[in-house]
Formats: sequence, structure tokens, C-alpha cells
Amino acid sequence: MASSAVTSAEIGSDAPRSDFGRVLAQRERRFAAALLAPAFLALLATTTFPLIFLIWTSAFRMDLAMPFTNGFVGFENYQVLLSDERFWSSLLVSLIYTGSTVALQVVIGLALALLVMDMKRGQGWFRVIAILPVVLSPAVVGMIWRTFMLAPEFGIVDFLAINAGLGGKNWLGDPLLAMVSVIVIHTWQWTPFAFMVLLASLASLPEDIYEAARLDRATAWQRFRRITLPLLRPAIVMVVIMRTMVALTAFAAIFTVTAGGPGTATEILNLYAYRKSFTELSIGYGSALAVALLIVTIIISGVLFAMRRAK
Amino acid sequence: MTAKRLRVAALLAISFVFLLAWAFPIIWSVLNSLKTDSDVLAYPPKLVFSPTLDAYRDVLFGSGSILPNLVSSIIISVGTTVVTMLMAVPAAYALARLRFRGKKFAGFYVLATQMLPPVGIIIPYFLVLRNIGWIDTYQGIILIYLSFSLPFAIWLLVSYFEDVPFEMEEAAYLDGASRLRTLWRIIIPQVRGGIAVTVVFVFLNAWNEFLFAVVLSGNTVRPVTVAMFNFVSVEQTLWAKLAAVSVLAMLPVVVLGVVAQKHIVKGLTVGAVKGGGRR
Repeated sequence: MASSAVTSAEIGSDAPRSDFGRVLAQRERRFAAALLAPAFLALLATTTFPLIFLIWTSAFRMDLAMPFTNGFVGFENYQVLLSDERFWSSLLVSLIYTGSTVALQVVIGLALALLVMDMKRGQGWFRVIAILPVVLSPAVVGMIWRTFMLAPEFGIVDFLAINAGLGGKNWLGDPLLAMVSVIVIHTWQWTPFAFMVLLASLASLPEDIYEAARLDRATAWQRFRRITLPLLRPAIVMVVIMRTMVALTAFAAIFTVTAGGPGTATEILNLYAYRKSFTELSIGYGSALAVALLIVTIIISGVLFAMRRAK
Repeated sequence: MTAKRLRVAALLAISFVFLLAWAFPIIWSVLNSLKTDSDVLAYPPKLVFSPTLDAYRDVLFGSGSILPNLVSSIIISVGTTVVTMLMAVPAAYALARLRFRGKKFAGFYVLATQMLPPVGIIIPYFLVLRNIGWIDTYQGIILIYLSFSLPFAIWLLVSYFEDVPFEMEEAAYLDGASRLRTLWRIIIPQVRGGIAVTVVFVFLNAWNEFLFAVVLSGNTVRPVTVAMFNFVSVEQTLWAKLAAVSVLAMLPVVVLGVVAQKHIVKGLTVGAVKGGGRR
């Protein structure tokens, strides 16, 4: 059957290459190119071109408020950046925010997944409720927390704090409390994500290993340490990678809750780049900050991916 | 026996606390949207009050109505979803199924584009769109939304296309169907579920986007997530109205989220479980 040989040459296996087969392979390439072209043109236009343009812009002094001072400055923006205290503090805030929110999400999410896994009834409730924060807009989440949850006097958090004898606090006005608040908000919104992923992953683990471990009289802690954790490792690492990428470039929730304040207490690098470009209208320097954020993102994701591969 | 019962009780208590912690801010906003301003500001917080729909009436039909903003949000989200899917489905199919040189690089490129921080994209985009007069337009916003929706959609769809058995394609091909026809009539119906999940995600992400919207929106095109700020100013906050707007902004995504609940979890885990690699 000639046609079946042709088909397998085109679709999958490495059948011997006839001239006819080569023509078909070429046709397949063209078909692939036609299918990919629109998406890749759009990606080039919306991601790669801006990236190149961004790097180019970062070599300029481009101040929309004072256009007469604009011009090519080479690496000057980067030199300024290295001695810019606000840059270093925003980098530190970024790292604290990302590190703590990701750690909290994974630990709470995993603990909760293990807990719910053992529940015979009521799992459904968790699944439905867990979906809610995840689908909400971070801007709306930020707004709800800023007003109805964290507002002084009548906000629920303040109400609880007063009744717990802690006294009223200025949750968003105090630098330390503001940082804790934005971390709690991010953790509140995204822990359900870690929870859902880890719960699904837990459910896919083979039951018989646990049976065997139980027969060997392994304690619950041993089973967790020796079986669950190693088997869940790929899922955990993947959650860490995905959440780290998002936390590093978090914007809406912090912007709506504290706008980076008080002062620069909650100003992550991302927010600093935004403020510099669109509030202070210093676009050249803002671009340099955005490039710095990209470099930080690449370094961190490089480390995380290396961890994923390492045994 | 008592130890076990104690454990069960503790478990129940912990889970109840967590369910409440997650649901509470949302429930509380809904309750506040049904109050008057003075009821919102009452101390201690009021759980019992006479509910009113005044806040909804005011934000929808009063002066400064957010109805146009809801329409903006819908146009942006639907537009982004349609354009994204038209481009992502063929691309994902090619990446999952066809053989061509540079395929690995193409796949890597799609993944890499997701790493770009949005703030880096918006700076050059703002400059370009300002020059061509596309600030405060639907096409300007939808175009830039492709930067995050397209890589995500392609990446998610590839995982669904890879699940379709090769034999189906081969059989259709043997029957003399062209490649395009095979894709349209045989493959796409097979991944209908995956396409639906992707549509939901793309819509959600477009509805929730904020940074690009803040920079690019103006008086004509302003999604509800940005317009919400009108209700909070230094001088005064319109508490009940703000709650009503929040609830309206939440409504479409919460409904979608709950309806598509199972699929969303699957969509979320595709990357984490598959990408984590069983190898």
C-alpha cells in the first residue's frame, strides 16, 4: 500500500526518504509555517520588538516633563542605577515580597492539601471556595482589602485586632505593617492556586506505595518525608517557579493597596520602574529599571530551573 | 478513641477557619454593597442591617455610571479572546503535531516571551501607541494583551493537542482529507474541552489585567478595574458604591470560575503536573 507508506513518512516514523517523501516533508514545513505565522508575528510585535526598543530606550535620557534635556546617554542610566538607593531598596523589597509569599503559599497550600485529602466529606466546598480568589482581579482584591478589611476603625482586621487586645493599628500607614499587609494579601489570593495544584498532584499519587509503607509500619511523618514529598517534588518546584515569576512582577494589588508606600516601604522593583516612567515621566531611567528587573527575573528563573533539573 | 475524635474536631476547626478566611473578604464586599454608607462605617461592623440595592442603582444608572466601563471590559476581554484563539489554535497544533526545522526553538521562544516583565513591555508600547494615536483605543489595548494571552494560550493548547492519538489523524488522512480539513474536522473537535478551558483563562486574564489598562486607557476606553478608582479619593470614599462596583467587577469571573471549576483546576495543573515531568 503506497499511500500508507507515504502517510507514515509524513506523520511520524522515519520511513525511507523517497523524492515523493521529500516533497511531502517540504509541504508539511510550509503548512507549519502558515499555521505559525500569525501567532509568531504577533509575538514578535508585542514582546520581542518592545524588548529591543526597551533596551534602546534605556540608553537615552528621555524625560517627558523636561523634553529639552533629552538625548543619548549610553550607559549613564545604568551607572546612576547602581548608586541609586531607591533601586537597591526596591530590589530588596521585591526579594522579600517574592520569597515570603511563595514560601507561605507552598507551605500553607501543601498543609491544606494534605488535610483536605484526608477529608471524606466537604472536599467539594474547598474546591469551590479555592477557585474564588484565584479568578479575581488583583486590582479588585487590593481594593477590597484596602477598604473593607484593612481600613482603620471599621475595617474587619482592625476590629479583630482591637478585640484581641492588640489595639487599633494603622495597617497601611506603618512601613512594617504595610509590608506585612501586602504579603498577606498576595498570600490570601494565591495560596488556593498552590493548594489546587498540589491537591491534584496528591490525588494522582499511587495508593499502593502507601499501603506497603503502612504494612512496614512507617509513621505518618515518615510516609510524608519519604514518599509524599519526593513524589510531589516536581509539582512543588513547578508551583514555586510559576508563583515566583508572578510575584516578581506583581503590580495591581500593591498599587491599589499602598501604591508602594508609605514612602517606599512596599515599592517593589516593578512598581519603582512604573512610577519612574509614568508618574515621574522619566522614561529612559524607567526603562533601565525595567531591564534590571528582567535581568533579576532571568537570574532567579535560571536558578529555579537548575534546581528543577537537579535531583 | 477520644484522641481520634479530638483530631477530627481539630481538623474540622482548621478547615472551617480556612474556608472562612478565603470566602470572607468576598462575602463581606457583597454585604457592604447592600448597605448604606453609614451602615458600612458602623462600629462594631454590622452583620444585621436592612439591605438595599441603592448602591447598585447609583453605580449603574446614576451620574458617573460605570456601565460604559463594564462595556469596555467586555469588548476588551471578548476581543482579546477571539484574536488570541484565532492565532493560538493553529500555532499550538503546528507545535504539537507537525515536523519542521526550528521547532524546539519555536517552543522555547513561546515560553521565553512569558518571562518578560509587563512593565518592560508597556514603556516602549506607550511611546509607540502615543505616536500613532492608539492610546485610549480598543485596538491598542487588545494588541498589547496578546503579549501575555498568546504565549499562555499556545502553551496550554499544545498540552491538549498532544493528547490526541496520532491514529485518528492518520485515518482521516488515508481517507483523503487534506491536512487543513483534518485539523478542522477531526482534531479540533477532539480538543474542544481544551479550547474551552483556554477561552475561559484568556477571558479571565484579559478581564483582570490592570497595569496595561491603567497606562493605555483614557476617557473612551476604561475597563472597570481602572474605573473603580473613581470611588476612592483623598477627600472621600463612596463606600457602598465601591463595594457594588467591586461586586460587579467580580461577578463575571466568579461565575465563570465556579461553572468551569473542574476544568480550571485541570488547566492550572497541566503545567505543574505535566511540565514537572514524570520522567
